[in-house]
Amino acid sequence: MPLELRNAQPRLQSKAGDAKIPPMNGLLEGVRALDLTHYFAGPYCSRLLAGLGAEVVKVERPPLGDPLRGYGPFASRPVQASPAESDVPMEDGAWHLYLNASKRSIGLDIKTDEGRETLLQLAAQADVLVENFAPGTLGRLGLGYEELRQVNPALVVTSISNFGQTGPYRDWKAAEVNLYAMGGLMNITGEPDREPLKEGVPLAQLGAGQNAFVATMAALMYAEETDEGQQVDISIAEYATNILENALMQYSYSGQEYTRVGNRGYGRAAWGIYPCRDGFVGIIAGPDHRWPEVARIMERDELADPRFASRRGRQDNADEVDALMLPWLIEHDKVDIFKAGQDSGLGFSFVATMEDILEMEQLLARDYFVELEHPAAGGLRYPGSPISCEPGANAWVFGRAPLYAEHTGPVLSDWLGFDAARLSELAASGAFGGSQC
Amino acid sequence: MLTPTTKQPLKNYRILDLSRIWAGPYCTKLMADLGAEVIKMESLSVYDSHRGPVSPARGIAAYPDGEPGEEPWNRNGWFNCLHMSKYGITLELTSDEGRRVFERLVSISDVLIENFRQGSLERLGYDYAALRKHRPDLIYVSMPAFGNTGPWKGYLGYGIGQEQLSGMAHLTGYPEDGPMKSGINHGDPITGSHAAGVLLAALRRRRRTGKGMYIDVSQQESSVALMGGELLAYQMTGEEPERNGNRSRWYAPCNTYPGKDEDRWITIAATNNDQWASLASAMGKPELAEDSRFATAELRLAHQDELDPIIADWASGQDVLLLAERLQQAGVPAGPVLRGPDLLADRHYSERGTFITVDHPQVGPRQYPGLPWKMSSTPGEVRSPAPTLGQHNHEIYGSLLGLCAEEIDALEAEGVIGAKPTGSRII
Repeated sequence: MPLELRNAQPRLQSKAGDAKIPPMNGLLEGVRALDLTHYFAGPYCSRLLAGLGAEVVKVERPPLGDPLRGYGPFASRPVQASPAESDVPMEDGAWHLYLNASKRSIGLDIKTDEGRETLLQLAAQADVLVENFAPGTLGRLGLGYEELRQVNPALVVTSISNFGQTGPYRDWKAAEVNLYAMGGLMNITGEPDREPLKEGVPLAQLGAGQNAFVATMAALMYAEETDEGQQVDISIAEYATNILENALMQYSYSGQEYTRVGNRGYGRAAWGIYPCRDGFVGIIAGPDHRWPEVARIMERDELADPRFASRRGRQDNADEVDALMLPWLIEHDKVDIFKAGQDSGLGFSFVATMEDILEMEQLLARDYFVELEHPAAGGLRYPGSPISCEPGANAWVFGRAPLYAEHTGPVLSDWLGFDAARLSELAASGAFGGSQC
Repeated sequence: MLTPTTKQPLKNYRILDLSRIWAGPYCTKLMADLGAEVIKMESLSVYDSHRGPVSPARGIAAYPDGEPGEEPWNRNGWFNCLHMSKYGITLELTSDEGRRVFERLVSISDVLIENFRQGSLERLGYDYAALRKHRPDLIYVSMPAFGNTGPWKGYLGYGIGQEQLSGMAHLTGYPEDGPMKSGINHGDPITGSHAAGVLLAALRRRRRTGKGMYIDVSQQESSVALMGGELLAYQMTGEEPERNGNRSRWYAPCNTYPGKDEDRWITIAATNNDQWASLASAMGKPELAEDSRFATAELRLAHQDELDPIIADWASGQDVLLLAERLQQAGVPAGPVLRGPDLLADRHYSERGTFITVDHPQVGPRQYPGLPWKMSSTPGEVRSPAPTLGQHNHEIYGSLLGLCAEEIDALEAEGVIGAKPTGSRII
C-alpha cells in the first residue's frame, strides 16, 4: 500500500524570519473564548486556554454563578466543605479559585430573550466557545451548535459531557464516581477483596478537560486556516476508557481481565506503595540488573537471593520480598528513602502530602508556585503552568479568579461596544438576573 | 499506511518522536489522532520498553492469546494501543552515520519530542541550540520526570511515582487505611495530554511569528496541576485532606454498592435534594426522603454511615446493569462498574465507536481504544496499526529523505538501522 509521505522539504517554513516579535502575554494572546462551563471538566479546559493567554469570558448564571463556587472549603470558612447555603455567589472556594483563575466573569441569564441575544452577539466575536451543559440544553435555549454556527461559521464549539452528544447514555446523569465506574478505571483500582475504588480528586473530569483543550486547539488552528469551525464532542467516560492502556489491552489481546491488586504492581512485586517511618513511599524494583541495589540500600543481603533476581521470581515470592523490605522501610523517612533509591538509579517515589508539595525543593527551585492576591480569599500559592516554555517566552499568564459578574460591563463594552444606556436596558430586561448594575 | 479519507487539522505537521513508554507516546498519539505525521524513532539496542522484553516469559505482557511469538516486541498490546497511525523507524545515534541521518530528519521536522532521562539527548550533543542549527524554527518538547532544571532533574520517574509525588495517591483510599495507587499509571496520560495542548499552542504561535520554541515538561508539575484546588484548600484549612473512599466531600449518598452477582458493583450518587428524593422513590422507600436525618446534603453527609447500608441492602439483590438503567430513568446518577468485557460490548460505546477494530500484521484484528473525541468537521481516523520495529525504514529513509538503495543497505549492514533488536533494557 503506498505511503502518504510528504516531500522532504521543510513545511510551513517561517515567513517572519528574524523579524522583531513583540513580547507576548501568553501563547494564545488575542484568542477570544466564551466559557459556558461549570464544575470541573469544562472549567479546566477553559483554564488552560486562559493560562496560555486567551481572553476567557466565563458566562455565569445569575444569581449564584457556577455551582462550583459553592464547593468548600472557603478561605473565609475553612471548616465547611459541603455546598454553601448562600444567597449570594461564593467567591473564595478552593476549587473555584483554582479552576477559574485568569478568567473574566459576566453574569448573564441566557434563558431570557435579551440574554440569549447577547450571547449570540458575543459568540459572533469569539474564536472558541466551551460548554459542559447536559447535551441538548443549549439547543433547547436556541443556542445549539447550528444557531452558533449561523452567527459565526468559524467558531469552535467544544462540548464536554458525561457520555457525549450521541449514544444511548447521552442523557444519563453522572457524578465523578459514576464516570470512574463506567469508564473502566474503577474496576482496576482498590483492594482485591474490597469494592472498586475511585480516586480522591476528580481526575476523570479534569483529564477530560485537558483532552478537550487539545482537540479545541487543533480545531482552532483548522478554523484559522479554513474559516471552518466545528463542534468538538468530548465524553468524560470515553476519556477514561482511552487511558486504560494495559488494563484494556490485556483483555483485548488475551481475554485475561485485569483485577484489583491494591498497592502492588500488576504482575510485579516490590512495585507499589509501602509504609515508612513518617508516611508512605513508592518502591519501584527497577530493571532486573538494578535489583541488587535494593538489597544494598535496604541493608538486607537476603533480598539479593537469586530467587528474587528476576521479575517473575520476585512476583512468585512477593510476600517474602515485602517482609524483607519492611523493617528497613519503617525505620527510615520517606524523602531519605526516595533519594537513596534515586541516587542508585532506581525510580523510587514517595506519597507527598499537600504540605510536602508546597515545600518540595524541586518545585521551589523551579519557581513552580505563584502567589496571587484575591479580594475575597487573600494571598494563596497556586500551582503555576503545567508546562514551562523557554525562559522569557511569557507563555503562561497568572491572574486570579474573577468575582461573580466582575467584568459584565467591561466585556460587553470591549466586545460589543455597548454603552451605559445599552447596559441599563439589558439590566432592566432581566438579562443580568435580578438586581445587577 | 492508509491514505487519510477525512480532513485532518494537523496534516501539515511532522513530528519526530523519540519518546518512550506512555507519557510521550500519549502526547504523540493525540497528535497522530489529529492527523500529524508522527515518525517514531527507536534504537535497536534500546527500543521502547513498552514493546516488552526480547525473550519474555509467557503472559508477562499483553500478547495475543498470551503467546509472545517469534517477534514479541511487535506483538505487545501495551505498545500497539499507543502507536497507531504512526510511522516507525530505527536509528543508532551513537554512530556518525546515524547522527548525519538524524540531523537530516530534524531538518525536515516541525517538532522533536523526547522523554529520556534528563540530559540524555544533550549528552549526545543535541541540546536545543544544536538542534536549531538543523531546523531554526524547531519546536523541541523535552519531558523528563522532574523537568530540565532543579536538584531532582536527573531523577527517574514513572507514572506510578507521579501519582504519589503529586499528592493524588495521598487522597485516594479509605480514611482508616493508607494511600492507594490507581489501577493505571495516571501521571503518564495527564502529562502527555498537557504536553499535546501546549505543543499545539506553540505550533500556532510559530505559524504567526515564525518562531520555534523550547518546551520543558516536568511530568511531576503536570500532575500537580490537577491538584490545585486541594493545595489551596490545605492553605485555607491547615489540614491535610481526608481520604474518603468512594464518598464525596460535597454530597451524599455517593458510593459503590454490591449487586447480586460476584464482584459486580454499582455506583450511585445524589448530588442534590431532588436526586435524593428520586432515589428514595426508586428504592420504594419514599419515606427516606422525609427522614430528618437525610433532609439536606449537609445532613446526609453527616449520616452517611447510616445511609449507605440501607442502599447497599437494597442494591445487593439486583443486577447492576439493569439497576443502573432503572435509576437513570428516575433521574439518579448511577452507573455499573464496567469491566473489560463490559466495555468492549457496551451498547453506548459501540454506537459511538469508542473502541475500534484494527488489523495488525502480526496480531490480527483486535479492539483498541479509538480517538478520544468526536470532531464534526475533521473527524479523523486511525490510519494504520502500530508499526513493527523499523517497519518504515525504507519508506522514511528512501522516499522521504531520498537516500538511495545502496546507502540504505549500508546503514543496515552497519547496524545503524534494522528491524531486529540487538538488546533491550526492560523494566
